[in-house]
Amino acid sequence: MEQTFEKLFSILSTIFTVISVVLLFLVIFFITQESMLIFQEVNFLDFISGLTWNPLASEPTVGILPMILATFYVSMVAVLISLPIGIGCALELAALENERLKGFFTSILAVLAGIPSVIYGFIGLLVVVKFLEKTFRLAAGESILSGGIVLAVMVLPYIVSSVTETMEKSYKKYKETSLALGVSKSYMLRALILPNAKGAILTSMILAFSRAMGETMAVMMVMGNSPILPKLLGKGETISALIALEIGTAGLGSLHYHALFTSGFVLMMFLIFLNALFYLIKKNLTEHLE
Amino acid sequence: MNRKVLTALFLVVSLAFGLVGCSSQAGGSKPLEDAKTQFKSEIKFYGSTTLAPVLSQLSTNFNEHYATWDKVDSQFAKKDIAIYVSGAGSSAGVKSIIDGVSDFGMASRKVSDEEKSKIEGYQEFKLGMDALTISVNPKNNLTKLKDSLTTEEIKKIFAGEFKTWNDVDPFLPKTEIVVVTRDIGGGAHEVFQKAIMGDAKVRADVIQAPSMGALVTKIIENENAIGYASYGMVNQNKGKLAPFKVDGIESTSENILNGTYKVSRPLIVLKKGDLLPQEKAFMDYVVSDEGMDIIEKLGFVPNR
Repeated sequence: MEQTFEKLFSILSTIFTVISVVLLFLVIFFITQESMLIFQEVNFLDFISGLTWNPLASEPTVGILPMILATFYVSMVAVLISLPIGIGCALELAALENERLKGFFTSILAVLAGIPSVIYGFIGLLVVVKFLEKTFRLAAGESILSGGIVLAVMVLPYIVSSVTETMEKSYKKYKETSLALGVSKSYMLRALILPNAKGAILTSMILAFSRAMGETMAVMMVMGNSPILPKLLGKGETISALIALEIGTAGLGSLHYHALFTSGFVLMMFLIFLNALFYLIKKNLTEHLE
Repeated sequence: MNRKVLTALFLVVSLAFGLVGCSSQAGGSKPLEDAKTQFKSEIKFYGSTTLAPVLSQLSTNFNEHYATWDKVDSQFAKKDIAIYVSGAGSSAGVKSIIDGVSDFGMASRKVSDEEKSKIEGYQEFKLGMDALTISVNPKNNLTKLKDSLTTEEIKKIFAGEFKTWNDVDPFLPKTEIVVVTRDIGGGAHEVFQKAIMGDAKVRADVIQAPSMGALVTKIIENENAIGYASYGMVNQNKGKLAPFKVDGIESTSENILNGTYKVSRPLIVLKKGDLLPQEKAFMDYVVSDEGMDIIEKLGFVPNR
């Protein structure tokens, strides 16, 4: 009896694992297949370095360099804003002795991660965009900066949770020693915990960066979506926004349709690369710690 | 032991659900009945991406109401109603009728005489009109100075030749004009492009709103904004948007339907030859009051 269940369980879990792995490969395969078709008409280098996106003109041009740059720009701004806040928050959480308070803060961060992105976008449109319009006297507040601010809030929980984990470990490890040596808590955090978490901070940056790159709805609502070269206070369009905006009206099988799939392919390649980097660094770190 | 049983049970149940999910999707094909005449239970619509959501909505409602054809009319066979709608653009819709690969074509533009001549027994159903109003924020002082813009003025605003409101009228402040559009590749922009811009390009740094709702929100929120709000949206946001006349013609439903208001396009379903009884039943539903209400709800001007 026991053995039968054991066997059934192992078979079923194998099946589910295979299904999820196969799903991933199917997605990659499908996107690659749909996007390769465009290269019969357009050169790959022209595609990623082209400055104009006009797939519906009588002589269509599809260049996504402005979108690639905007995607990187807005993600960078987001990480730059949320990193100091995230590290400060993680230090505080790691050194917090009151377990109840710690649990409370952690759950608040979890809620922050669970808010749907369209809500962030809506708040961004009504608060951040308006704020930028007033502060910088802009005609329209839709900009890379507003996208970056909204994204910073969205990726904050990921930075905090991955950095806190490492900091907590080293805090526990060095607490007794520091107490015995009589150094102050703030000195310990500054001179011991923070340098020790360097690797974790790097991985959290990569994680946050890849999260930010893939985010669509919130960014689309606050960035203005103009396919032009991005400036901090100017409008911009990310790759994911481009796809979300236009895939609904792109005729099935047209150049426009395949160009959008290829943009998705480019984004996917960047994300796979970032994830591989994340994995490698993390692996190195855990080996290093042990 | 108990926990293992539970886990195994959970896995079995979830697998069972997964399999059921698969089967219900694939289970559309029922064994063919030995009917005297083959009853065609499928209707295929193909074409305009603007009309596709309209016909999808109509067919969903039709389906929910009747489910099988024999409930529509007792003379029809007892088969599931299957209406397939796919969007691929107006030209593709017309072409599909010429080639005879779909039952109905959808077009959100006029069908040219040349195209009509290629279709034997051409029939069209005009469902309504899609119209855009050139709207600004009611606080914009331009609304006090004039109530009509010429095509040329609108063109210059959207193309970026007029950069500030001061360029439009010397009595207005030198604040930048914020131009809001839908996605440049989409159907709404196509109407605007054809009616106003012609060959001129819209300036590159316009705000592309992800939906008509977002476009309208931007105009309501920003005093310097101008954009093309759909006719339906202006009615839903009375007082919050200030639509202009175009070349002196107001965007009323009469003007839109008789074609004098120019920023509009017809929504047409086309057909080659006679309709089958079941096709007629569905088209009767589409042009009924209920169908027209749905078209109006989706933001278009119904052809009542």
